[in-house]
Amino acid sequence: MFISPILRKDLRIELRSRFGVSAVVMFLLVTVTTILFSAPGEQIGSSLMSALFWISLFFGALTGLARSFVSEEERGTSFLLRLHAEPEQVFWGKYLFNLLLIVSLSISAIVMFAFFFRDFHVRDIAMFLLQLALGAVGTSAIITILSALVARASQKGALLPVLALPVLLPLVIATTDATRITFETTNAWEGIRGDILILFSFDIAVTLVSYVLFHLIWKE
Amino acid sequence: MSKFFHSNIYHLLLGALFAVSTFVCFATPIGGSFNDVITLKMNNVANVTPVKMKVISLSYDSLTKKFYNVTDLYGTPARVLINSSVSLKLGDNLVAECSYMPTEKIFNVVRIERINPLLTFPLIQGLGELGRNMLFHVPMSFVAFIAFLIATVYSIQFLRTKKVYFDHSAWAASSIGLLFTTLATVTGSIWARFSWGSFWSWDPRETSIFILLLIYLAYFLLRSLLEESHEKKARLAAVYNIIAFVTVPFLMFVLPRITQSLHPGSSGTEAPVINLSGKTHTDPILSYVLWTHVTLFTLLFWWMKDLYTTILRKENE
Repeated sequence: MFISPILRKDLRIELRSRFGVSAVVMFLLVTVTTILFSAPGEQIGSSLMSALFWISLFFGALTGLARSFVSEEERGTSFLLRLHAEPEQVFWGKYLFNLLLIVSLSISAIVMFAFFFRDFHVRDIAMFLLQLALGAVGTSAIITILSALVARASQKGALLPVLALPVLLPLVIATTDATRITFETTNAWEGIRGDILILFSFDIAVTLVSYVLFHLIWKE
Repeated sequence: MSKFFHSNIYHLLLGALFAVSTFVCFATPIGGSFNDVITLKMNNVANVTPVKMKVISLSYDSLTKKFYNVTDLYGTPARVLINSSVSLKLGDNLVAECSYMPTEKIFNVVRIERINPLLTFPLIQGLGELGRNMLFHVPMSFVAFIAFLIATVYSIQFLRTKKVYFDHSAWAASSIGLLFTTLATVTGSIWARFSWGSFWSWDPRETSIFILLLIYLAYFLLRSLLEESHEKKARLAAVYNIIAFVTVPFLMFVLPRITQSLHPGSSGTEAPVINLSGKTHTDPILSYVLWTHVTLFTLLFWWMKDLYTTILRKENE
């Protein structure tokens, strides 16, 4: 596969340092603890539960994934990457790496929420996993392109959350709504069909646009 | 042709057209049907509702009371009582506020609004006089969408040609688009105050327009924070503008229609003018005025965008 070198490189760096995964898991742990301490013994309803879950996930993704291009710039390896790889290779490699990171983030979020909150009770597991997958694809595409954009800017600080969160909000609305329904009914497909359609079309649109625009950001 | 669009005559013409259409929007009486009177009374919305009717015959006349046989705009016949010195001829059209007296099955005309009006707007149940806001609010949202679309086209043109003109135009079009989005939000919010009871209640429509404002504010923040050379700055801004536009159809058209919303035109409510399924009665006069306003606002947007592009070019020279 033509994408594998970049993905393999990132995975190897990740296995060596475990920076991304450990930062993300730590972030989630702190978030869950904060929620537990600020609302001790509280009965959390389905809509609040799904909102808390997705807010933790999106902010976790923003903290964990922000570094994918910034670290290349900081290490000074972006020039080498530009010399040795095509923009398409870089995009798909980073995109898949981010996707894997979000998937691991989601898995740890599910484990933590299921462990710490007794109200976290998914009734339609298949639909829940479908939403997670669709949410992950869209988030990964948006964060990949925007973190590449932020890496090119001189002021990197708080730019990524400011740029990425508003663009992610349609995704947030659709996923929180869909997850609320999977918390409430065992056969959620009828209720979440609209949300799934939005997620699906949004994912396709965002992935295509990111892919098409990537080389414009990447080149010097 | 381009000379005409920069001439004073064009600007005066645009101003005059705006004056005329605004006058039409506010001066045209709104009239519904007799069915509206009964439903609105049964639902305890209003005791008195304006009805557009046509006089067929005079049925009974005394010194104090005059009963007329009339039909409303759907041709439904009814008897009305008019306690007024106005004498109506057969075939007269009138818009009058009516109340319903169920025991006698007679409609009582409380106040005659207009006799033989040139134009009338249909009554939209639950909106009434507030429905006039639609003639400003809807074109503003339309033009906001058009503005963002044009900004995206300019951004693509910039990425293809690298001409500074396209960058300035994309910037200007986004700015004016943001202005129109704000105007649509403000008109909608004022309308919501009188229709829903509060200026802001996080209806899905309000949420999505708020997100749209946030996205384009982030675009201007990006522009102001970038300290690169002009070419690179414009390139990154153009890329963000295109990504931002991907969300616009979702926020403006898809999300508010799929989620449960109180906004007219959402799922569960009737669309007064524009709907895809053609379920509700679409009034031709209302649509004409609406589309005229869309055109006028688009021309206004174009003029403002051109002006702002020139300002940006002068500022960044």
